[in-house]
Amino acid sequence: MSVEEISNSLPEAAEEVQTNNENVEGEPEMAYDESPREGYVLYRDRKEWADLEPVPQDDGPNPVVKIAYSERFRDVYDYFRALLKHDEKSERALALTAEAIELNAANYTVWHYRRVLLQALEKDLRVEMKYITAIIEDQPKNYQVWHHRRMVVEWLSDPSEELQFTAEILSQDAKNYHAWQHRQWVIQEYKLWAGELEYVEELLEEDVRNNSAWNQRHFVISRTTTYSPPEVLEREVQYTIRQIKKAPHNESAWNYLKGILQPTGLSSYAGLLEQVEGLQGSCCSPYLLGFLVDYYEEALETNGGKYNLTETLNKALGLCDLLAQDQDTIRREYWRYVARTLQSQYDSGETSPPLTEQQ
Amino acid sequence: MAEEVTSVDDFDQIDFLRDRHIRFFQRCLQVLPERYSSYETSRLTIVFFALSGLDVLDALDAVDKPSLVEWIYSLQVVPTEDESNLWRCGFRGSSHIGVPYNTSTGPGSPHPYDSGHVAMTYTGLACLIILGDDLSRVNKKACLAGLKSLQLEDGSFYAVPEGSENDMRFVYCAACVCYMLDDWSGIDCKKAVDYIRRSMSYDSGIGQGAGLESHGGSTFCAIATLCLMGKLEEMFSERELNRIRRWCILRQQDGFHGRPNKPVDTCYSFWVGATLELLDVFQYTNFEKNRNYILSTQDSLVGGFAKWPDSHPDPLHTYFGICGLSLMGEAGLRRVHPALNVSDRALQCLQQLHQTWREGCT
Repeated sequence: MSVEEISNSLPEAAEEVQTNNENVEGEPEMAYDESPREGYVLYRDRKEWADLEPVPQDDGPNPVVKIAYSERFRDVYDYFRALLKHDEKSERALALTAEAIELNAANYTVWHYRRVLLQALEKDLRVEMKYITAIIEDQPKNYQVWHHRRMVVEWLSDPSEELQFTAEILSQDAKNYHAWQHRQWVIQEYKLWAGELEYVEELLEEDVRNNSAWNQRHFVISRTTTYSPPEVLEREVQYTIRQIKKAPHNESAWNYLKGILQPTGLSSYAGLLEQVEGLQGSCCSPYLLGFLVDYYEEALETNGGKYNLTETLNKALGLCDLLAQDQDTIRREYWRYVARTLQSQYDSGETSPPLTEQQ
Repeated sequence: MAEEVTSVDDFDQIDFLRDRHIRFFQRCLQVLPERYSSYETSRLTIVFFALSGLDVLDALDAVDKPSLVEWIYSLQVVPTEDESNLWRCGFRGSSHIGVPYNTSTGPGSPHPYDSGHVAMTYTGLACLIILGDDLSRVNKKACLAGLKSLQLEDGSFYAVPEGSENDMRFVYCAACVCYMLDDWSGIDCKKAVDYIRRSMSYDSGIGQGAGLESHGGSTFCAIATLCLMGKLEEMFSERELNRIRRWCILRQQDGFHGRPNKPVDTCYSFWVGATLELLDVFQYTNFEKNRNYILSTQDSLVGGFAKWPDSHPDPLHTYFGICGLSLMGEAGLRRVHPALNVSDRALQCLQQLHQTWREGCT
């Protein structure tokens, strides 16, 4: 079904149908010269709109960034502006907003006005849900359409289609920020946490590098069980390490691992260092090495007396060196900066000589 | 139009086609084809990309400044006789509502749906400054009242008083307005910085809001806002700043991307590059790879830059591609202020204006 068919139907063409253009010579197809499709009647030629005076756009004597609208486009919007000026609340106004939206779904004023009309005319919002569903499918990266959907869901107090809908959009683009934002809003607002972790896991099965899915994982857990229960943290750490083994060069997994452990301290998780160091052979990556740098830095900072300051600092500096020279050369200067910072902060004078400033 | 397949390495010698980009922006300022209709409500932002872009290119001389200034002022939503619309004041993105062209400072005629948009107020003021205007026809009280009505309880901002989505983009726009008007009464800073804090992700990047995925665009908006407020070091400890630095610097692949495991895109050379500059570590990025990537997205035929190589250029990516190069000190480009996103020449004009205001002169 086309968007037009689903929306409140366009007004029937005037009885006095425009003579058809079968014999019109073909003209080169240029967007701004395109004749309206056969049978289409401009609003200014429709009898039932004769009472309304169209309002043109007025950019003054020196318009800037002027958009060259076709006759049809301009005609629709001249009448939209007229409706707006009179704040007309009618079925014909609602129908026109659908046409204006079809021409430019990014016009937030049209959407706002449409919402005003939906409420004033007490329209069936279930029909509106079908309408907005089709539009979002067609233009899933438009801000206005998602906001409109959110408003309709709120008015209906009915989030029952939202998880399925966002999942459908995400099946086409698993990282669509608008879809994730809407999904998070629905879940949080209507407490639809059940099954979300399973959904996240499905997505990570499909693509373990999907950073949005890892973010959603954190979103769900931090707002349900939280990471405080030891069994939750353990489960998550082991899950993440398994994913790292499957795809070692995955920043998202490493960010997640670090992110869930940092609040309590990387060094406070028993056996973590050993587990990560154990991965160095088969799963080395700039992220693994960066993780270790952060581990050692944290150890230096907390310095619970468990560590030999000098040895720890040297390990950290050695890793920075490895990253700069070999494992993450694009960030060579950054890792040298990290090393210098660590050195100046923790060097007690007994460490190895500072890294030479190489060009 | 056959083109040779080239890799990023082949672009070591590629030229920055200054004249093409100047002409690209000049064309933007004139007429755009109907396929750009989705830009209608944000035409003022396109003007900003073109004018600020020409400014960075040091090519503003060819522009008709007086008539541009008039056109921009025609977009100001001014208070009506009884000032009942104060909460809706600011700048419009274009004439799409159908209010008759009027550059006067008021009083305005009432219209049920006429209101400003925070991003247009921001870019409108920025354009006026770039054009050398003294903002004397800006109704500052009305703009700030308009801003106030846009802030939510959680500290974030709507774009328009009728309501819209709310996120970090509009926090940044609001901060820019206050900074340019040298008046922070339009924002509850405490709530705004609280929103920023709560938007920090577990990975130390910053999302559009609490719980949302960290993103180069929202990270820029957040950090730049704090810098404009002068509160960066107050809000984040050195440890937190180091973590943000790490998140940002990991965005470099050759050019920059906006989120882990996403493809690179020219505009992030500015969003992330500028953030790194504000955090004092942009100097540690790989300039050569960044420059080569940006230039690989240059359109040598029509000018401009696209998000990816062999894609259509657009005003936004052209502007941010140029700014991305400016951050690295590209020859022939003015420096760009990484928080306010205008040339340092424009910033100087602004600072002089502020001095004049503070001294109480006319």
